[in-house]
Amino acid sequence: MGSDPQRPAGDAGGSPDPDAPPAVELDGVTKRYGDTAAVDDVTLRVREGEFFTLVGPSGCGKTTTLRLIAGFEEPSSGAVRFAGESVAGVPPEDRDVGVVFQNYALFPHMTVGENVGYGLNFADPPEGVTRDERVAELLELVDLPDAADREPESLSGGQRQRVAMARALAPGPDLLLLDEPMSALDAQLRERLRVQVRRIQSELSITTVYVTHDQEEALAISDRVAVIRDGTPEQVAPPRTVYREPATRFVAEFVGDNNVLAGRVVDAEGSESDGAPRTVAVDVGGEPLRIETDGAVDTAPGDRLTFCVRPEYLRIGEGESRLAATVENAEFLGETTRVTLDWGGRDLVVRTRDPLSGEVVVGFDPEDAHVISVNEA
Amino acid sequence: MSDASRGAAGGRHTLHDRIEGRLRGHLLTALAVVTSVTLVVAFYYPVGTVLIEAVVVDGAATLSVFAAVLRDPFYFGELARLFAGESPLAVARALLGPDRRLGIVGFTAYQAALSTVASVALGLPAAYLLARFEFPGRRTLRSLTIVPFVLPSIMVAVGFVATFGTNGTLNAALSTLGLPRVDLMFTLRAVVIAHAFYNAPLVARVTTAAWESVDARAVETARSLGAGPVRAFFDVVAPQVYPAVLTGAALTFVFTFGTFPIVLALGGFELATIEVFVYHLVRDLSYAEAAALAIVELVISLGVLLAYLRYEARNTVSARGARPLPRRSLLPSAPTARELLPRLGLGAYAVAVGVLFLAPIASMVLASVTGGDGALTLEHYRFLVDRQQTGAAFQVRPWPAIRNSLAFASASTLLALPMGVVVAVLTTRRYRGRTLVDAAAMAPLAVSGIVVGLGLLRGLVFGVEVAGWRIAASGAIAIVVAHAVAGYPFVVRTVAPGLEGLDRSLIESARALGASRARVIRDVELPLVWPGVVAGAAFAFAISIGEFTATVVLATGGDAYTMPVAIERFIGRRLGPATAMGVVLLVVTGLSFVVIERLGGETSGL
Repeated sequence: MGSDPQRPAGDAGGSPDPDAPPAVELDGVTKRYGDTAAVDDVTLRVREGEFFTLVGPSGCGKTTTLRLIAGFEEPSSGAVRFAGESVAGVPPEDRDVGVVFQNYALFPHMTVGENVGYGLNFADPPEGVTRDERVAELLELVDLPDAADREPESLSGGQRQRVAMARALAPGPDLLLLDEPMSALDAQLRERLRVQVRRIQSELSITTVYVTHDQEEALAISDRVAVIRDGTPEQVAPPRTVYREPATRFVAEFVGDNNVLAGRVVDAEGSESDGAPRTVAVDVGGEPLRIETDGAVDTAPGDRLTFCVRPEYLRIGEGESRLAATVENAEFLGETTRVTLDWGGRDLVVRTRDPLSGEVVVGFDPEDAHVISVNEA
Repeated sequence: MSDASRGAAGGRHTLHDRIEGRLRGHLLTALAVVTSVTLVVAFYYPVGTVLIEAVVVDGAATLSVFAAVLRDPFYFGELARLFAGESPLAVARALLGPDRRLGIVGFTAYQAALSTVASVALGLPAAYLLARFEFPGRRTLRSLTIVPFVLPSIMVAVGFVATFGTNGTLNAALSTLGLPRVDLMFTLRAVVIAHAFYNAPLVARVTTAAWESVDARAVETARSLGAGPVRAFFDVVAPQVYPAVLTGAALTFVFTFGTFPIVLALGGFELATIEVFVYHLVRDLSYAEAAALAIVELVISLGVLLAYLRYEARNTVSARGARPLPRRSLLPSAPTARELLPRLGLGAYAVAVGVLFLAPIASMVLASVTGGDGALTLEHYRFLVDRQQTGAAFQVRPWPAIRNSLAFASASTLLALPMGVVVAVLTTRRYRGRTLVDAAAMAPLAVSGIVVGLGLLRGLVFGVEVAGWRIAASGAIAIVVAHAVAGYPFVVRTVAPGLEGLDRSLIESARALGASRARVIRDVELPLVWPGVVAGAAFAFAISIGEFTATVVLATGGDAYTMPVAIERFIGRRLGPATAMGVVLLVVTGLSFVVIERLGGETSGL
């Protein structure tokens, strides 16, 4: 494997060799249970030292993907490789992975210290460090320096989560796998902990695969995100790209609030496919809306274009394309108000600071729209 | 990841570690193989030889023995005429007539049915009391319902003789009150009452569990939709409790159908059941006929059990996270008929049950210290001591019986524990063919001890030729394996639920941290299900101490007799020494339970 598993804490780990094989690679991996494929022909590459997140609705196969990497499941077909070498048939105990589960799975019959030290029965602590020192070091790392003699039952949910993290890291794994480790915690704690998880990951620069159904968490914590639907990744990209340039309608609607609209192209100015962005007019419900497409999108009049405009880009009474709509519903969220508008039978979502009611006109500029697809359902 | 690349990653796994890891990885497999071999040697092979004995006569396969048994009115009563080819109408008329003959098989089924009805009638009020009322000692009483199940049946028989016998405490009490004496001994009634003693607590136990898992919200929903309390009970509670009552009834029928010591001691020869008669045939060396009869018994028992299991599979509803119905206080809250009547009924029931369950034990203790003239005496214990010192070689002496019982129970517990744990691990995992493994491992519960004992006697004890070598085990070894086979299903039953309830991610966490599958069992699973393991050990020990059926077959003519066998030898001639021996058995059983509990802390129930 590419890096020393006994990596000292704080090693920044330089930028990885671009030619090095990925830390984790899934190559055409399928996992079937009976007739249904929980994971369907997935190909993914996780880079050395990367914080990689699998996000998707429940039942999409993200946890199964993680279990395939951990070795709790074997793929029905395809290959899982660590640093370029297949791990087919290698049991979980020989994969040098650390796993944190949603319910933490602390051994209830052992103290916190014994939990953290359990993996050291099978792997030696780093040179010159005793077992007890290693346990203390890890508890220090997760900000629970005095918890070694406590019983798991006496800990709060957030503390248990951190102990589980320390336990997974103690043997110095090559890979950290986190399966919805925060979904049982309340929202405020979750936000605090995710900062801590990310800090620890950066300090150790340990390759991490994180599973969550919470798209906001995925955006906040990851280097790259794979949005999974029905066992297949729909988009694998850094959080900003996933948010600003969703590859599919599903991604556009799953990640953040969004207004997805579709219509026929009525006017495409400029020459076709010269690689430069250009503006087209799309007829949505009789209204020609002006959309800027990026150079890669090749459209001609008559094409069916699907695009999205984020609520924060819909402005009241401004923008090149204007839509006259009626306020249907308003949710006061504190910082902003989330207003649902009815625009000719279509729902539009906008975010405003000021309360809205009755008839309003909202608009957006061509560059605020993102084209998702051409001539697809 | 290849071994080479891992070696490069800091040398965490030396060659020695790898070899050790391989061995550990196969420990479970090795234990599973040992368990299978034990099962084959001590159960499947012996039972198989018995089956073959019934269909192979003088080296030729034949069904003639079966045919003879089926057509013999001695066994099948009027039904035998049906098997012999007579018209069903004539048989039906004869069955309805006043002098119908049931035969031994018919009688066995008849007494089992009566015992089932009695056990259900006696068990249901207890379930009502335990599930719906709160009172001091409720939990203790609930855990006590398991006790009759592990009481040595021969001891219970002695207790019943001491209570209901001609000179028993019942008649003593009746004559003090100036009432006529009753003679219950060697009647069907005594047998049925003894069976109810054993099985009513079982019915109460399973029914209570089902009743407690009824979700109060379901009842509240029914009430809010307009159902009165009685209607809500019949629409919501009863359908959930009813399958459990059926479970209790089916198990009671199977247990009492295969009954042996109770009928042997309380029924005499006039009331012989199949099991008792098989035993007599064995003693008369009519092995083929005994085997055929045993198979008939096995088929009927398994048939009932399978029919029930199919029913259960269709009707099981899991009630997870249910909020149980609130319990009522045993003290009435208001002097109304609705508050008072059920409590008065339960009070009367409690008195009757107290007499039924405490009288046999108390009478046994009392009889052991009462002389023929009714005065207190220690002569029965003195008899045991004298017999120990002066008894002839062919006579049953007390000390070897006690020593054998303890030795066999310890050895069979040591054997049953790993077997039970391995089977529990194997049957709580998910894989194809799991049901088959489960059924094969649980079969000893349903097969009569006589058949196992007979098979072991004819096979291992008399000797087997394997590749020119003559292999023969002593009676003692055969008894130990027979007891282990009889006891380990209880280890499975107490350990498996704990394993099933274990969070899978605990096991997976340990594996991700580097522990092999076998190491996870040692470090995580066993410590967490330890109370179940201890309870299983207590069961295996108690089953062995009390086991009579297989032991009496295997101890024939040898000196490998145990306390229950000794009691049976005494009971025919002298009740006094039998009760004294019974008290010794009671003390030894009680003490071993205390020891196991102390060693293992709190035990969990079945």
